[in-house]
Amino acid sequence: LIDAKRGEDFRRRAVACLDGLYSFAVSLSRDSARAEDLVQETYLRAFQARRKPEPLEGVRPWLFTILHNLWRNQRRRAAMASLDDDTAGALPSGEPDPAEDLARAEDAARLRAAIEALPHAFREVVVLRFGEGFSYREIAEVLACPAGTVMSRLARARCLLRASLAAGPEPKP
Amino acid sequence: VSDCDSVRRLVAPYLDGELVDDERRLVEAHLASCEACRALVARESSLVSAVQGALPRHEASAELRERVGSFADRRQPGLGWTAAVAALVLGVVAGAVVWRFWGQRATAPGSDLVAVAVDSHLRFARGQLPLEVRSEEPEEVSRWFAGRVPFHVTLPDYPVAPGEMKFYRLEGGRLVALEGDYAAYVAYRMDGRPISLLVASATTVEPSGRDTVKWGGLTFHLESRAGLNVITWSDKGLTYALAAELGFGGERSCLVCHGSPKERGKIEGFSPRPPDDLIAR
Repeated sequence: LIDAKRGEDFRRRAVACLDGLYSFAVSLSRDSARAEDLVQETYLRAFQARRKPEPLEGVRPWLFTILHNLWRNQRRRAAMASLDDDTAGALPSGEPDPAEDLARAEDAARLRAAIEALPHAFREVVVLRFGEGFSYREIAEVLACPAGTVMSRLARARCLLRASLAAGPEPKP
Repeated sequence: VSDCDSVRRLVAPYLDGELVDDERRLVEAHLASCEACRALVARESSLVSAVQGALPRHEASAELRERVGSFADRRQPGLGWTAAVAALVLGVVAGAVVWRFWGQRATAPGSDLVAVAVDSHLRFARGQLPLEVRSEEPEEVSRWFAGRVPFHVTLPDYPVAPGEMKFYRLEGGRLVALEGDYAAYVAYRMDGRPISLLVASATTVEPSGRDTVKWGGLTFHLESRAGLNVITWSDKGLTYALAAELGFGGERSCLVCHGSPKERGKIEGFSPRPPDDLIAR
């Protein structure tokens, strides 16, 4: 009975992560069909896994970890160029003040474009932190990297996004 | 280093709720007396809110939700002795009932095998099902499946005589989910049109279809769905599904495995064409 209850608890927690996992998969692959494949394979592996997270509160980061590993393996197989922290290039200095512009809809669109344009390694920490609300430790677990790396990537991503807002709209031709 | 410098380094983790109590109290004490740092926190907080608002949320499709639900509803491994014993008892009790209805279940229309074959074929044809191994070499594709699927895949090949063109082309393969396990998806192309072959363990899935044709000691199940002909059958512990466009001629798609002159003789006379009324459905 305990096992059955635990199995049902696991199932409920896992299925509740579906939209979050799918959003993460879309942000990684930028392709809805590939994202569906990633999510499907993630759940297949999760439900077949003999060792489940203990305690079950860890199901959510565990599922994201499986998905991220699958994605990373696909990238390796496809010999896609991996991105590291240096790909962001020179970061802007100074402290632009975006707050006063935030109410404008065009800022939201610009910010969305800026998130899309972030280097892969930055975009995934932004999605996991601000989209999914994971802690630094959980993000580190998902991405299999030190928590310090998560913090530095987040800091640089924030700089880039702040700069995109401060830059204002593109001049019209 | 001024207090402001120290605190500014902590603003992001402060807003992210990542500071331990001592650090958080330090930051809050400083903010109470420093207007510039309060303004910085307000700006950073606005940025975080804006990013949260701008991040696109994607909702999983109903189809994906259903597929995931079907994985979840299956018995999970590693449930322990209690569940294992309960399963055994239930299994013995239910065994006779399952046995009685097994034949009907396995041949019911709309089973997973045909659905997965159709879905995989259509997605591949639309360029939405990327291959995990791309090769025209049957040996290479067969090797790729080794260890990835719980059965042995050997894709046939035959030598092409000098001057003879191979009338189909192997494109590659990938894994697809089927009944809580993996099946081997193999993509071919003939006359510019895709042909899909799905291979799974016969213990995972059985062939199904609206109509059956017996040929060469095997029973072939036929189904027409979504503009495709799907032929399914089991042989030597494996279940196969072959999907191609309607009107392509089901027997022609058999040539991907029976292309050599000797093999072609085996399928001569085989007509896996469902009756016209089935095609019209």
